[in-house]
Amino acid sequence: MSNSSEQKNVNQTRRDERSPEPVAKETPPKRWGMLVDQRRCIGCHSCTIACKSENNVPPGFWRSWIKGIQKGSFPDAGNLYLRRLCNQCDVPPCCQVCPVQATVRREEDGIVVMYYGKCIGCGMCVAACPYDARFFNPFRQTADKCDFCVARIDVGLRPACVEACVSGALVFGDLNDPSSEISQRLASIGTSVIKPELGTKPKVFYIEADHSLMGRIQYSDDFKEAVMEYHKHIPSPDASYWKKGR
Amino acid sequence: MEAAVLYNVPHAIPWQVYIPLYFYFTGLSAGSFILSTLSTVFRIKLFKPMALPAAIISFLLLLLAPACLIFDLHQPTRFWHTLVPEYFNRTSALSYGSWLLTLYPIANLVYIYFIFVKNDQVTRILGMITVPLAIFVHAYTGFAFALVRARAWWHSALMPGYFLTSALLSGIALLVVVAMVMDRYRDDKLDPQLFRSLRLMMIGILLTDLFWNGSFWLTLLVSTADGYASIMLALHETLYVWGELVCGMLVPLAILILPWTKENRAWLCLASVLIIGGVFLMRYSVVFIGFDIPLS
Repeated sequence: MSNSSEQKNVNQTRRDERSPEPVAKETPPKRWGMLVDQRRCIGCHSCTIACKSENNVPPGFWRSWIKGIQKGSFPDAGNLYLRRLCNQCDVPPCCQVCPVQATVRREEDGIVVMYYGKCIGCGMCVAACPYDARFFNPFRQTADKCDFCVARIDVGLRPACVEACVSGALVFGDLNDPSSEISQRLASIGTSVIKPELGTKPKVFYIEADHSLMGRIQYSDDFKEAVMEYHKHIPSPDASYWKKGR
Repeated sequence: MEAAVLYNVPHAIPWQVYIPLYFYFTGLSAGSFILSTLSTVFRIKLFKPMALPAAIISFLLLLLAPACLIFDLHQPTRFWHTLVPEYFNRTSALSYGSWLLTLYPIANLVYIYFIFVKNDQVTRILGMITVPLAIFVHAYTGFAFALVRARAWWHSALMPGYFLTSALLSGIALLVVVAMVMDRYRDDKLDPQLFRSLRLMMIGILLTDLFWNGSFWLTLLVSTADGYASIMLALHETLYVWGELVCGMLVPLAILILPWTKENRAWLCLASVLIIGGVFLMRYSVVFIGFDIPLS
């Protein structure tokens, strides 16, 4: 790591010798990312609460949340958690489908942001997000999602969830800066992302996240049980067929 | 390893029944329009009496379809954002769709005018321009689903084709019913040959639809966990199996093929009504079974 930064410094001085004033565009754009260390997560939901109060998320709706599962049976049992939030994909399926460009990936820092005044509320992005990170905000009546607390980032602060995390499980930083803590951790530890097979290139990385937490619910070979298990997680399982979507 | 979910946050389904209704209306409209052009563009004399009623039905349905879309928006007053060129998103099927949905009714109206004044030459040229519009206006709805990689039930290359054939099917079935009503209340009777060709077309498209369904099932059964779960869920859904497949496809197919029922007008009418209902259930199950598989 230090080697490469030395190399970069050398390059910088050479460039400075050639032209008296350094050109601003040569500094790479920022690329914010988050690393979630599940070894440190204790499932306290501080990040969820901080997110809700920072972004004024209405009751019953979450921009970010903790998914919890229980594995095995006593005495060999585990309670495992997965911090869920918008994955700030580099190839975002939500921006692909939005008919009015109300949600776009910002070029300057790679964050997928919402323009609430443009959003027509068609719901296509909610349907297209493979991480179920989007929802309809009942007050705004537009789609809403985690944006890494973009208002805080723009004034140089860290996202509210990262500030609130009690165990230091959330690491936030610039993926384009090799000397940032997140880049150093990513370079030295095995990490994973959710649903990499979709090619969305998420910028939220996990250390030691259990495979049964990563997106799909694990189910048995008995398909009936599997279907029922899936059905349990539909928002309104008891609603009659014709009332779906209400 | 057994794993039980302690807690999770699934988000509510963003769409209401207006969305499948919208697909249904555009499908009916595109289907009727293509039938109308059979005589005006492709010069099949047999369908001549159907040209004007089919075009008018197609236009009326096109007034309903965008209304359904706008009703479903959470910000209905902002629907015009989709037509602002600056906001156009070239990767979004919906962006193209909203332009198509604006241009197609206008082209359709002009076409109806020229059938009405019996100017065959201009009608033919206008029809040639409007047929691709009619095809695209319905195929784009298929692409709107096929391009969603998140949901295995939608993310299929068969989707646009399936949407088009079932649009044609519902259009023909509706026209059969309309032709029967016309036949009853008008003085000059329609050619029985017309009903015969409409019946044969319905059989062909029903078989195509069944083929799409079979390919769909087989690929999903050996697909990812999500794909497998969606087909299993679909096969347990009463409305999908008994409504869409049995009452909407297999029973009408039997009625149209069996020698005891195929020549009878009443049976033909029943089969058409069943098809019209079955195609709506197809739209409904495509939309909502896709949402039934949780993603988080």
